[in-house]
Amino acid sequence: MSYIKLENLRKVYNKTIEAVKRFDLEIDKGEFIVFLGPSGCGKSTTMRMIAGLETVTGGDIFIDGESIINLEPRDRGISMIFQSYAVWPHMTVFDNVAYALKLRKLPKEQIKKIVDEVAVICDIKEHLERYPSQLSGGQRQRVAVARAIAVKPKLFLMDEPLSNLDAKLRVSMRTDLKRIHQDLGSTSIFVTHDQSEALSLADRIVVMNQGVIEQIGTPNEIYHTPESMFVAQFIGSPPANFFDVTVLVKGDKVMLSAKSFEFSVKKELEKKLKEYDGKQIVLAARPENFTVDKTGLIETEIIIVEPQGSHIVINVEVDGKEIKVVTDKLDLQVGQKIKLGLTDKYIVFDKDTTNRIY
Amino acid sequence: MDKIKTRKPFWKSPYMLVLPALIFYLIFWAGPVFSAVKEVFTSVDGGFSFETIFFLFEDDKFLPALGNTLLFAIVSIVLQFLLALALALFINRNFKGSSFFLFLMMIPMAIPIAAVGIIWDTGLTESGWFNSILSVTGIQWFLDTIGITDGAILWKGATGFKAIMLLVLIDTWTVLPSVMIIILAGLQNLNKEYSEAALVFGATRFQTVKHIIVPIIKPTIITALLLRIISGVQVWLIAVMVFDFDTVPFLVERIVYYNKFFYTDEYFKLSVAYSIFVMMLVMTIATIFLSANKKAERGRT
Repeated sequence: MSYIKLENLRKVYNKTIEAVKRFDLEIDKGEFIVFLGPSGCGKSTTMRMIAGLETVTGGDIFIDGESIINLEPRDRGISMIFQSYAVWPHMTVFDNVAYALKLRKLPKEQIKKIVDEVAVICDIKEHLERYPSQLSGGQRQRVAVARAIAVKPKLFLMDEPLSNLDAKLRVSMRTDLKRIHQDLGSTSIFVTHDQSEALSLADRIVVMNQGVIEQIGTPNEIYHTPESMFVAQFIGSPPANFFDVTVLVKGDKVMLSAKSFEFSVKKELEKKLKEYDGKQIVLAARPENFTVDKTGLIETEIIIVEPQGSHIVINVEVDGKEIKVVTDKLDLQVGQKIKLGLTDKYIVFDKDTTNRIY
Repeated sequence: MDKIKTRKPFWKSPYMLVLPALIFYLIFWAGPVFSAVKEVFTSVDGGFSFETIFFLFEDDKFLPALGNTLLFAIVSIVLQFLLALALALFINRNFKGSSFFLFLMMIPMAIPIAAVGIIWDTGLTESGWFNSILSVTGIQWFLDTIGITDGAILWKGATGFKAIMLLVLIDTWTVLPSVMIIILAGLQNLNKEYSEAALVFGATRFQTVKHIIVPIIKPTIITALLLRIISGVQVWLIAVMVFDFDTVPFLVERIVYYNKFFYTDEYFKLSVAYSIFVMMLVMTIATIFLSANKKAERGRT
């Protein structure tokens, strides 16, 4: 049986606004789960329902087989790291970390021992007597992490904990969070709208949109086999490019035809596409699914070049719209004529359901 | 090494900028205070003397007035703080109709103190509106039955401690919204995640208020209470409106009483002496509050 189970979870505000329509998820002990989605997709609401900071409209939440939806937040065995850190400004770092332990009426020496332990893990040992206002954003974040792990929770909740940090610190904090997670073997749920955070941290990602789960999967599954067009365009930086193409069955071969290019599809796809003969479907190709050389099938001209160091991102026009292509040919210039080829890692979606065909 | 000379002539210095304010205070504040002090320390025939000070301390009503004033100020500030905090926390939950409730609450603030006095002066007579409400709602009957009262309460017959408490309640009715609104402003500026973190990390709602919310908005609370205690020390009008002069003495009530009902120089000087005493009392209290505020903010600015 799974460690944490969210069953048919629903949240409706003011009887009309459906923030979370249906949420089913099972989490194993020690897993790092990331809720990913654009703002307003219901990911934070779902987390707050787990924390008990938001009432549940329908469904149930189980931790260790026990329903927690009628418990106060303090009785749920969870701890949380907030977006603003929520490190209490009137307490020293020590008191912040020790607060929950003091409420549990642990003996003083034991509290001190635990605080010292987590302070070492979070690298805030020398700041214990300071007030939060005397710390930098990154240090405050560490205090919030220390406070959260000091209580040894059954489940860690993290609500966009890195979004207030500057870009460089965000990346290093991310690594630290992952290390702490691995060392402690804790079960964690992490909410973010930043797909690179999600990909780098998660064991499994839950992609949400408009109150429903679009896809649950490992970072690789989410990236390489997105189940819907939403996931394909939300994940990846730059995101996937989409083309409207028509399916044409010509004898044995199945062709995909766009305004400016036409090609026969990979073998595995032929059977699935036969039923779409004459219909329009959506072809999705990630920026790195293209080849740039003299033999490609799409002729075009480079409009914008964005160097990224190890690779460059170029904008080219195909079928009347600009698409982004990633290539390691660093010497490409604006205005240069190129031919784009397509590797067979492309994906096709049903235009009506927006679900993946293959 | 050469010293770099940065001193500017006085008329170019920053002090010039505060000079107008300084002149204003000298003329309209320091001046009157100085002449008041001078008034107290000169005798009726013009020489330096302590006789007004002795007169003040010999006044039978001085100690009762001081005691009543302090009792009133302290009880009302405690009561108003607790009620205002509870109401502010309640309204801050943003339930349906909370803004209408807030509007209703603000109404007493719009009524001038003299009118408040009239409302309660007529309300607290034996057959006034307050007793009518008690009787219509059955509260009177209930109180009679359980033996707390025996017939309509004669509010105006209250003396001593009871009279002060009655005035505290009337004052609270009037000023509660103004205290509440300041605390509410503090609560609305407070990051919600502070209290949510407390709830998650094991605190009950009461502990969250006590350990997290109140300490964090302490500077706001101190400001609100400082304003309240200053006007608490200066209470007189409701006392006079409800109980008339010279029944429940307060320090400021004494100033008005001696100034308006006695026409000798001695009593004029006595009322000035009371004024200076009140001023010193207010300044002492303000200093205590402000240093408490500094302590509250230490280490976290």
